[in-house]
Amino acid sequence: MRTKKIMIHKDEGLILSVESLNEKLFKLKIYSPVFSLMAMPGNFCHLKVNEESFPLLRRAFSFHRVEKDKGTFELLFKVVGLGTELLSRKNPGEKIDLLAPLGNFFSFPRKDEKIVLSAGGMGIAPLLFFLNYLLEKKFNPERITLFFGVKKEKELILLDELSAMRIKIHLATEDGTIGFKGRITELFYQELKERRVKLKNTMFYACGPTPMLKKISDISKKHNLYCQISLENHMPCGIGACFGCVVKTINGYKRVCKDGPVFDAREVILD
Amino acid sequence: MIPDLSVGIGKIKFSNPVLVASGTFGYGEEYGSIIDLNKLGGIITKSITFNPREGHPPPRTCETPSGMLNAIGLTNVGVKRFIKEKLPFLRRLRTRIIVNVAGSTVEEYVEVVRKLEGKKGIDLLEINISCPNVKEGGIAFGSKPESAYKCIKAVKENTSFPVIAKLSPNVSDIAEIALVVEEAGADAVSLINTLVGMAIDFENKKPRLSNVTGGLSGPAVKPVALAMVWKTAQKVKIPIIGLGGIMNTQDALEFLLAGASMIQIGTGNFVDPECSVKIVEGLKKYCEEKRIKRIGNLVGKLKTK
Repeated sequence: MRTKKIMIHKDEGLILSVESLNEKLFKLKIYSPVFSLMAMPGNFCHLKVNEESFPLLRRAFSFHRVEKDKGTFELLFKVVGLGTELLSRKNPGEKIDLLAPLGNFFSFPRKDEKIVLSAGGMGIAPLLFFLNYLLEKKFNPERITLFFGVKKEKELILLDELSAMRIKIHLATEDGTIGFKGRITELFYQELKERRVKLKNTMFYACGPTPMLKKISDISKKHNLYCQISLENHMPCGIGACFGCVVKTINGYKRVCKDGPVFDAREVILD
Repeated sequence: MIPDLSVGIGKIKFSNPVLVASGTFGYGEEYGSIIDLNKLGGIITKSITFNPREGHPPPRTCETPSGMLNAIGLTNVGVKRFIKEKLPFLRRLRTRIIVNVAGSTVEEYVEVVRKLEGKKGIDLLEINISCPNVKEGGIAFGSKPESAYKCIKAVKENTSFPVIAKLSPNVSDIAEIALVVEEAGADAVSLINTLVGMAIDFENKKPRLSNVTGGLSGPAVKPVALAMVWKTAQKVKIPIIGLGGIMNTQDALEFLLAGASMIQIGTGNFVDPECSVKIVEGLKKYCEEKRIKRIGNLVGKLKTK
């Protein structure tokens, strides 16, 4: 994972649209030229969903899609509580208080490397930005493999866009309606063991719920994969000041917001 | 008319009464790209202990209605690394630097204070005798008058910096503790530290914090903090620094009226990193509009009858 000396800014973004992808999933499009220029794949923004004291704290979302020429970016989120509920009810034209770009970001593969990405559910959010970024930089799509797993078919979003990228895609649904029946980590491990996924000259990336990342972390330790995983956590400050969002690693506790959110999967100790 | 926002603790002058609270502002540098740190009255560092501390396992924080719980466990780099790695940045600022000190024993407080003695860039010490999350230290000193007295007295005997005692609200009479630390030589008191609280994930039958209990902060605690500041202001002569849920200029003014001559912004920094500097501006504007010459003229001006 990479870090660079970035200047964290506060900006007032303008909400352009709130699109419902299914009953729980939403896409928020925000106009903020400064952050669309600065955001890197893996970075996140910290925003205040309202001006009240309840909910009090800001919420963290990774950048999902960035269009520099239009000065916009998108966030993908699932309604899980009051904060995301309020966010889903925002209207175009409303202003939103943003703090970004926060955290480190994915490191990029060399042109001659292959990459394998694993996304579990909402974990597709930062990985889509990363994919688009790599393709824009003329990274050969034939060198990219994506494992994308969800619980149910209706959570399989962005399929048209992903298919158009001409990358290799493996799908998994837990109910078996599409693709492999089971968890994405089972499919990933199967492909790895049967050597259809090669370890040599390959960079691995993953994002998804913690149990999935724990599996990925275990696999990475066992087979010594260099896999970058993007973690999430409740983050009171988002900038490394409060030490409230730490994750256990082999080198002690690290702040997800500042030392991450992207970590080497062999380094973290997840329960 | 340009109102005079300056205030003082002992011989130390502050450009304005707005400080940022320990534990919410890291070692200062974290906020440096977002706000102009020199606009603050002062910066209070994370609690510094003698040895580095890893802190508690996650989860360490949890949001609650209009507030949050934390049990960080005094994570810090230890006094030696603080001096070497963190103080040089703070030293370059034109704002006042207050180092918050914590310990497990009176000896540890003294050892930390001795290491800090005479170091350039430090203006005052704030002694944390009120951390609710660490069993052996912090609150063990702040919850009983005798131990609070002993700790502050020992610190005073080993430092030439002015000393602020940070008090816990988790006591039967905070004003009594304030009185004894004043007697022990404290130059000011700051109150309140967080209130012991707890949140439960009932579906999984688990506490939301690994430490089970944590410290409650944010707007939810403001009425408690105001009452304690007011009560304490009736008893002590030394300056009171008020904190607890201050999010905006109006909140800050309420604390001044209750008897605090300075205030600290804690959880407010998380909600809006510009909160503290906005309050400095807001206080200035308020004084201009109301033709108040000195901010000090507002302190303790609550009309109770």
